[in-house]
Amino acid sequence: MTLLQHALVVLLLPLVSATIIALFLRRAGNWAAGISVLAATAIAAIALILALHGGRFESSWEWLRLGEFSLSLGIKFDDLAALMLVIVGIVGLCVHVFSLGYMHDDAAKARFFGGLSIFMFSMIGIVFADNLFMMFIFWELVGFSSWLLINHWHEKKSAADASKKAFIVNRVGDFGFLLGIIACYYAFGTVNLTELATRVEGGAVVASSIPLLLFCGAVGKSAQLPLQVWLPDAMEGPTPVSALIHAATMVAAGIYMLCRINVLMVPEALTVIMWVGTATALYAALCAIVQSDIKKVLAYSTLSQLGYMVAAFGLGSLATKHEMGATTHEMLIATGVGAAMFHLTTHAFFKALMFLGSGSVIHGCHHEQDIFKMGGLRTRMPLTFWTFTIGVAAIMGMPFLAGFFSKDAILYLAMTKSTPVFIVLAFTAILTAFYMVRLWKITFLGTPRTHEADHAHEGGFTLTMPLIVLAVLSLVGGYTAYYPKVFTQVFELIPEAHDSAHTVILITSLTVMIVGAVSAFFLYQCSPNDTLAQKAPGLFNALGALRNSFDVAYDYYVAKIQQRFAMLLNFLEQIFLAGLIVRGFSGVVGLFGMGARALHVGKLSVYLYWFFGGVVILWLFVTGVF
Amino acid sequence: MITPTLNAYLVLSGLLFSIGFFGVLIRKNTLVIFMGLELMLVASTLALVAFSRYNGTMDGNVFVFFILTVAAAEVAVGLAIIVALFRKRQTIQVDQLDGLKN
Amino acid sequence: MPHFLFNLFALLTVICAVGAVLSKNTVNAAMCFMLSLVGVAGLFVLLEAYLLAFVLLLVYAGAVAALFLFIVMLLDMQGGERKPFKAATIVASGVAAALLAVGVLTFYHQPSLATAAAAEVPGASLKDYAFQLFSTYLLPVQIIGFLLLISMLGVIVLSKKFEDAEIAP
Repeated sequence: MTLLQHALVVLLLPLVSATIIALFLRRAGNWAAGISVLAATAIAAIALILALHGGRFESSWEWLRLGEFSLSLGIKFDDLAALMLVIVGIVGLCVHVFSLGYMHDDAAKARFFGGLSIFMFSMIGIVFADNLFMMFIFWELVGFSSWLLINHWHEKKSAADASKKAFIVNRVGDFGFLLGIIACYYAFGTVNLTELATRVEGGAVVASSIPLLLFCGAVGKSAQLPLQVWLPDAMEGPTPVSALIHAATMVAAGIYMLCRINVLMVPEALTVIMWVGTATALYAALCAIVQSDIKKVLAYSTLSQLGYMVAAFGLGSLATKHEMGATTHEMLIATGVGAAMFHLTTHAFFKALMFLGSGSVIHGCHHEQDIFKMGGLRTRMPLTFWTFTIGVAAIMGMPFLAGFFSKDAILYLAMTKSTPVFIVLAFTAILTAFYMVRLWKITFLGTPRTHEADHAHEGGFTLTMPLIVLAVLSLVGGYTAYYPKVFTQVFELIPEAHDSAHTVILITSLTVMIVGAVSAFFLYQCSPNDTLAQKAPGLFNALGALRNSFDVAYDYYVAKIQQRFAMLLNFLEQIFLAGLIVRGFSGVVGLFGMGARALHVGKLSVYLYWFFGGVVILWLFVTGVF
Repeated sequence: MITPTLNAYLVLSGLLFSIGFFGVLIRKNTLVIFMGLELMLVASTLALVAFSRYNGTMDGNVFVFFILTVAAAEVAVGLAIIVALFRKRQTIQVDQLDGLKN
Repeated sequence: MPHFLFNLFALLTVICAVGAVLSKNTVNAAMCFMLSLVGVAGLFVLLEAYLLAFVLLLVYAGAVAALFLFIVMLLDMQGGERKPFKAATIVASGVAAALLAVGVLTFYHQPSLATAAAAEVPGASLKDYAFQLFSTYLLPVQIIGFLLLISMLGVIVLSKKFEDAEIAP
């Protein structure tokens, strides 16, 4: 088989799996699970083969043509896509296996695994897409599968609401994305990524509106400010879904898309992107401190890390203002891509690990999610505890773990490019260590505070195996030097600090980590109440209000502005569309009907008069009256 | 031998058609209405034969052949319908046969 | 002589037709209808369409009119009362009559038709008809045959008694 055929198999395998499940196995949950996991295994295997083989290619087929305008479907498989494909494949496989245990007794198991398969298909479609239209198609498909999976327990109102919210908020971003694609097509006459790169290198001027509109898509999908509201609510879905979609892959699709279109970036747009990312990182970290739901903490942590990635991407090219040389221009943009993708990779591993760990905890505690009702799980669930600890250490930036390297790369980038961003990101790093240690200590240390926590138990093989795999990856994921030499196009872009800068960064990151971790460790007691809420209720409430502010604002907007506007439109619709046009037409037709009914009297002689009228007209015609 | 003009035949044909038409128009008995219809058909055949004769072609005559055949079939079916109707409604007066109206 | 015969047959046809239409008794109407057809057949003879005259007598006066009489007797409704006409019917039929009269009169004053000379028909023998029917008009003959078959089937179906047919109100 050629590489292209391999790629097509990877793309279509989950679709086939989803189709089989949807058509034949809706009642057979175990079979559906088996097929879905098999497909995921095959995907992971073929993805690794594809990536490690080192062959890179591009291929595209015309899909439909409308006059001058043509849409094509194609595969662009370069190092970036290979890296992303491997992440999706490995994390996808871990989550599938974990789901086997976690969803073992679920009533709608077939729907769940079918949803996972359709998600894998859509996500791989995004990874492979060689043009923006195709990416948009799969972009919508991941949105759909995300909706389907958040909505898995749809009989719960909160889950149904959360899925609707996720879908609608994503629509807002996607609208901007679509506008951006259209603007891009209008400006360049193509949406193919490679051709776009050629055009821009050929000297085509990019208006800053295009990258900003495209960035709207990433804002929606990667849950950046101000569209971040859907991600914490999306935790209503099953925990494996949160790990796969809302931590490791789908939300990272926004970052991936930005890296794909980095040729279109201009300094003004990058400044905006940088600040959006920085603000999101800080905002989400502040929110995470006051959460009591284990999954919500992780959700805000995901938001914060996504903010890091977006900021890293935005930071990458700010130096173009200082160095105007054409060659350095390209180089410096790309450093952002390197740092963002590096952090995306490590984050995918350790965040999936922590989500699956939290899934294991929730499963062990019989679906208890409040960390203040846990405690003492260290002795009861040792494997989960140790793997989770590795995840926490990795996200905090503990030296020699995955997060350490990628976070340092971002901090270094920030230090060289923009001091305010550097300060904010460093402060966010303190907060990250703070809320992570808080979560870790309250959940695992101390003594059990409830009956459920007291009787917590380690899950089966399918629950622990993915944790171990991901823990290992979180341990070693940061050593880019030891990666196979097939992702060099991405990893050679990772900025590295040298000499004094290296020392400064090392000291900074160690300091912030220790400050955050130690203060949290000593501040929080293993008690059923939030220590911060007791010692500084004002601060606690302020953070809670900050967290709610967006929801309140959106609710206000929807209730007071949008609802009134909709009422106005509805009013106009009732009058003009329904009243004049629909009823009007039907009225005219009805009038004809009434006239025709008047002719239809059921008397033969009356019909005969009509016939006679016809004869008279014929006669008049013959004699030439008209 | 032919001295009556074509017009004479046509007027006669028209007159016959009118009588048949009036029969259909004013009578309520379905059988008589049917006779009126037949009269109208015969009137048209008369016109056709006259045209054929005065134009010196055969086509009109052959056409009359067809008309007669169709008329025979029509009578057979029509009378069968009348019989069936009478069986069902016990009347063949058309002013009582207004079931279509309601 | 032809004038006299034409007038005779024309008078017979019209008077019998009027009788058929106006007669209160359906049996009388059917008899008048038959006589009227005889008149038309006479006119056909005047027009030298002997075969058609024969067929008309045979099929119409013989079969159709007899069929009418059979039905009248079968349904047993001779002497059925005719209701008085309504005012609207009288007015409408008056207008219709006037229009028809105008229509018929226009024929009479068509100059082009009035002067049309009688041409000799090439031949109206049975052989000519047969030749025409089976060469030029072969397809219509087939269709007519099919129509007759269908009407025969239709009559059989219609005259069957269906036990489960609903009883009319």
